[in-house]
This record gives sequence, C-alpha cells and structure tokens, in this order.
Amino acid sequence: MLKANDIGYWYDRQENSLFEHVNLEFESGTSYAIVGQSGSGKTTFLSLLAGLDKPRAGQIELNGEPINKIGLTNYRRSHVAIVFQSYNLFNYMSPLNNLMTAMAITKSSHQGDKEYAADMLRKLGITDEQMKKNVQKLSGGQQQRVAIARTMCCDAKVVVADEPTGNLDEENTKDVIEQFQKIAHEQKKCVIIVTHEPDVAAMCDHSYRLAKHEFSLEK
Amino acid sequence: MNFCKRAWLNITAKKGRSILLILVTSAIMLFVLAGLLIRNAADTATSNAKKSVGATVTLSANREAAFKKMRQSTSTSKKKTKPTLSTSPVKLSDAKKIAKLSNVSSYNATVSTSANAKGFSAISTSSSSNGGGMKGGMGGSSTSSGDITIDGVTATSSVSDFSSSSSKITKGRGITAADEGTNNVVIESELAKEDSLKVGDTIKLKATTGTKKTYTLKIVGIYKASSSTSSSQGPDASDPSNSVYTSYTFANTIKGSKYKNTADSVTFNISDPAKVSSVKTAGKKLINTSKYSLSTDDSSYQTVKASMDNVKSFADKIVWLVAIAGTIILALIVILMIRERRYEIGVLLSLGEARWKIVAQFFVEMVMVLIVSIVIAGAGGKFVGNQLGKQLVSQQTTTATTSTSTSSQGQMGGGTPGGTTGGSKPSGNMKGGGGGGGSMPGSSSSSSSTASASQTDLDISVTIMDLVELGGFGLAIMFLSIMLASGGILRLQPKKVLIE
Ligand SMILES: Nc1ncnc2c1ncn2[C@@H]1O[C@H](COP(=O)(O)OP(=O)(O)OP(=O)(O)O)[C@@H](O)[C@H]1O
Ligand SMILES: [Mg+2]
Repeated sequence: MLKANDIGYWYDRQENSLFEHVNLEFESGTSYAIVGQSGSGKTTFLSLLAGLDKPRAGQIELNGEPINKIGLTNYRRSHVAIVFQSYNLFNYMSPLNNLMTAMAITKSSHQGDKEYAADMLRKLGITDEQMKKNVQKLSGGQQQRVAIARTMCCDAKVVVADEPTGNLDEENTKDVIEQFQKIAHEQKKCVIIVTHEPDVAAMCDHSYRLAKHEFSLEK
Repeated sequence: MNFCKRAWLNITAKKGRSILLILVTSAIMLFVLAGLLIRNAADTATSNAKKSVGATVTLSANREAAFKKMRQSTSTSKKKTKPTLSTSPVKLSDAKKIAKLSNVSSYNATVSTSANAKGFSAISTSSSSNGGGMKGGMGGSSTSSGDITIDGVTATSSVSDFSSSSSKITKGRGITAADEGTNNVVIESELAKEDSLKVGDTIKLKATTGTKKTYTLKIVGIYKASSSTSSSQGPDASDPSNSVYTSYTFANTIKGSKYKNTADSVTFNISDPAKVSSVKTAGKKLINTSKYSLSTDDSSYQTVKASMDNVKSFADKIVWLVAIAGTIILALIVILMIRERRYEIGVLLSLGEARWKIVAQFFVEMVMVLIVSIVIAGAGGKFVGNQLGKQLVSQQTTTATTSTSTSSQGQMGGGTPGGTTGGSKPSGNMKGGGGGGGSMPGSSSSSSSTASASQTDLDISVTIMDLVELGGFGLAIMFLSIMLASGGILRLQPKKVLIE
C-alpha cells in the first residue's frame, strides 16, 4: 500500500546522498523493521514515509497516489500515525486527553469517544488512575505505551515508529513490540519500526537493512 | 473547536506561567484603562464645561466709532473747546430682539449710576477723598458722583460676581426680573451692619443728577461681597460695600427720564459657547453698528477647553504609548513562549494539525488571559485613574487659582486670554500633562478663572463601556502580538522538532 518509488535523499550535496534509487513496498497487515548503523539515514528515511519531509528524488505513493498530491499535512492527518523515541505527547495533558486531542485533530472515526480511548489505554496496561493524571507523571515506558495507544485510536493505516523501544527495559520492549504486532495483524495496519536492536527486528514480520546507501531485505 | 479545548487545558495545566502572563497583561491593561478613563473623563468634562461655563455677548455703545467721530469733529472744528465723547445708551428694544436669537438663554441689562445716602451713612474709607460725610449735604449736590454706587441689573443671579460666587446673597433674596419698576434694593452686609439695616427696612437715596429727587427704597436682600472682589469703579470709587443692586429701571429713573428703557450695556448669556460668534454675527444685523457694538466673551470657555484639550491629548498619548509598549512587550513574551513550545507545535504538526489552528490556539489562550486581566484591571483601574486624574486636576486648579490672584484687580476689559495656547506641550510625563494648565494665564477676570477651576473636576469611574473599549484594545494588542510571533509557527518544520 505504501511505496517508495525510486527515492533519493541528501542533506547538503547530492554526492553525499544518504540513499538513492530506493524502491520499497510496504503492505498493510504487516510489520517491518528497518535496521542499520547509526548515521546511516534510517530516521531520515522514516520521516519521508511519515510525510514530515519530501524526498529529493522520486516519490512516496500511498495506494498508487503520490503523497505530495494528497498534501503532506492532509497525509499526516489522515493516513499516518507517528511514534518517536521521545514519545511526542502533549506534556500539559493527561494520557486520556492526549488521545482525545489526537482523535479530534485526525478526525478519527472514534472522535469524542472517551470510553474507546480509555479501552485502548487499558489494553496497554495504563490504569484508570494513571490515564487521568498529567502524562509527565508516567514512566518512560508508560508514556511510550500512551503514544502507541494513540496510533491505535486514529484511523491512519500507516504507523511509523522511530526507535520506540530506545529507552525501555527488555520486558517493556517485548510488550511494546507485541502491541505493534497486534496493530499490524488485528487492525490490519502497515507498521514500520526503525530500530537498532536485533531482538526487535527479529520480532517483526520483515526486516530491511540500510547499509552503504542501499536497503536490503534481511528477512 | 478542538484548539479551544487545548488552549483551556494548557492554561489550566501550566498555572505558574498563566499567572505570570495574567500579571503582565493586567499591568498593561491597567495603564491602557487609566489612559482611557482620563481621556473619557476629559471628554465629559469638556462637554459639561461647554454647557455650564458662561459665554456671553455684550451689547454696548460703540465706543470706537464714538471716538472716531470725536476726533473727526476735533480736526474739522477750530474751536478750542474740549471735545466730548458722546455715546448713546443701549436701547432695550434692540436687546429684546437679540434675546430672541437662538442659543441666547437669558440676558442682563446693566445700568450704573450713583446717588447720595440720605438718612443713613455710607461706609467711608480713609483713602477716599470725597468721604461719606456729606450725607446729602447741599454743597455736594452738584457733583455727578454720589456716595452710593447703584448697579441696576435685570437679575443679580446673572451678574458675574454672583454667578461666580464671589458675591453671595446672605439674607433675603436677590434682584429678579420681577423687580422691574420697583424700588427694591439689595445692599452689602457691611453697610447693613454699619447702619443696622435689615431686610424689610427702607433707605432713602437722593439723586445727584437729573431730578435730584429723593427716593425711598425697600431692602429685599443683603449680600456679602468677598473681600477680594474688586469693584469696577477705579481708584476714585467709594468703598465696595457702598454698592447696591436695584432693578435697572430704578437706576434709569435716578439717571433721568431720557434714560427710560435703556441700559449701559446688555449681556446675553449664550447656551452653547461654541455658538458665540454666530450669535454675534446674527445680532449685528439687528442693531445700528455705528452706534452700538457687540463684543463677545467666551474666554472662560476657551480657557477650560484649552486646559481640557491638554489633558485629553495627554491621555491620548498615554493610551497609544501604553498600547504600543504593551504590544511590543506581549509580542516578545509570546515569541519566547512559542519558542519554548516548539516541541508541542511539532507534535501538533506531525498529527496533521493545520497551522492556523495552532495560531488560533495561542490566540484563544491569550484571550483567556486577557479576560481575567481585564477584570483585574477594571478593579484596579478606578484607583489608578483617580490618582492620575487627581494629580492632573490639582495642577490645573493650582495654576488656575494662581492666575486668578495674579490677574490684577479685574479691570473691565482685562485682556483676552491671548496666551491660552502658550508653551508647555504635554510631554511624556505627568508634570508635562499638568503643565498644560500652566498655559492659561491672562484670563480676563477673576470670575472666569474660578469657573474654569471648578469645571476641570475629572469624574473618574469605570463603566461597562470603558471595559468594552479596553477589551477592544486588549484584543488588538493580543492579535498583533500573536501575528508578530506566529511567523515562527508558520515556518517551523515538524521534522526538525521531532528528530532533534
Ligand atoms: N538536518 C540535518 N542536516 C544535515 N545533516 C543531517 C541532518 N540530520 C541528519 N543529518 C545527517 O544525516 C545522516 C543520517 O541521519 P539520521 O538521523 O537519518 O541517521 P540514523 O540512521 O537515524 O542514525 P541513528 O541510528 O543514530 O538514529 C547523519 O550522518 C546525520 O549527520
Ligand atoms: Mg535515528
């Protein structure tokens, strides 16, 4: 459903391009891991898929339609959900309000349904008490789970995550990846996770390695 | 309307920051409100002053034309006799025509003459050369000046000394239009004390000219002249306590039969001082301008207007200065706040929120702060406005009072206030504004200055309209600040924020 069509990207000069002529396809109901050395350009590639930046060459297509035709803001609002290492939650809100806000902005089909949002949080182990206090009073792992719950509440069919387990312990990491797997398999979404942990990559359905400016399928 | 909810959540969650913002905004709003209050009060005071400060048009003999005529006759005739200045008394029929013009609220005819006291003694002053001792003595009868000054008027209430309260009726009543044709008299309290006269008593006056008859007058009132009140008779005059007020008809009777239905001058009170010159123009068409002239006196009005205009322009400057300074301060605060909230903006952008809705969220937050601040400023505004108003008015009044005492013994024509527009422009500070009052010396008579001092009272109170106006200013300030600061939001790249 999501297709990288001959894309290339560089920051200042084309000679220093991170990658060029990349052709990849991501299907719904599947989870993908992207691994690679630090500085190889994983985050950069993910930001292109998330519609946060435009590729220098080629284009990203969603179900055959270039995303810059959909409009990047519109694409981000309706088609993609983002989970980054730093959780990207509103720090002045409770977990519940974070979800409600995201559902309102993305005009989710469950918009305004507090019980639905609470259900998602409960599924990820956030207690009713926790979901009502300020999100900053939660632990890193809990905050990451709130961010994941948020992607579950929104209708976006593409979920991109950049090192979502970066500062979680082993147990939490396993938990979080299981949730992503559920999102892919139960909600039939396309989940793309950037990680440097081999364990995480092993848990995903497929795994790509970015090395020497090229992507190669590992699994 | 999700951005409104976000704004509310943000304001309530970050209490410390919100309170600081409210304090800063309240301070700015307080200054704007103080300026608005003073400006509005100055507005009201100016329009009140317009209504209550007397502006007058006076009909009198055309002395200028008379002088011209006299000089002409001197140059043509070779006679060595001293030329005489012949002026005609004002005809009351002319006065009645002018009184019918629009904007003329009332008129007062004045006839001045004198007579000798008979059967009672006038107050004698040591400096006076022709003391009251003559008591109607035969020798003195040929002089045209008696020891009692008679001011014939239509009504004492419209005499400037009375309207400015420098003279007051203490017992009985003043002369009114109803006293026309009667021999009723109002005497000064010192004279009453000296001769043990009471309201209801009668006194006798002997005319020094014309018929030289003796008239019996009935005392209907006693007035007290303030010691500072200067008489208008010049140095030769007898003691001011010897001035009595009668109806102008009685004064005419004393002067002689040819003075019937005339007056020395007639003063018209103009209801709207701004219309003085149009009344003058209209009046001129009704009279023989070679014999009579119409002169205007709206100096008190001009004085009040000038000083009020100064307060107003000062207040205007406060409003604008504070509004501009407030916008700059708030814009800087909002810019800092937005920089501090880059991450939040990045998250919103990554969720696909429209940029204008993010700007709208900040605006709604500031409006919430503004509403609380206006309530606080409204509570504090009365206090600040009062202090400012008091200071401005006290300086106005002091200068006005000073000019009253310095504007010498109220010579009749005493110089129009040429200096009303004088020096001190209100500069940025309080003193400068108050100094506006300093630019009104040279008021023509004590009465006009007193009037202006009492008119400059600023009535400071916070009305709903003031708060609405303040809200308008506040909204404009907030809008401008957000617009200035939103450049950052509109340029912000979500990728940079989220990846850093
Ligand atoms: N804004 C930028 N301007 C210029 N160069 C940049 C910018 N952002 C990243 N780079 C460079 O691009 C390269 C790829 O960065 P990116 O963040 O995509 O790597 P990554 O694979 O995610 O690394 P990591 O595993 O450490 O997160 C790096 O060499 C980095 O220095
Ligand atoms: Mg990275």
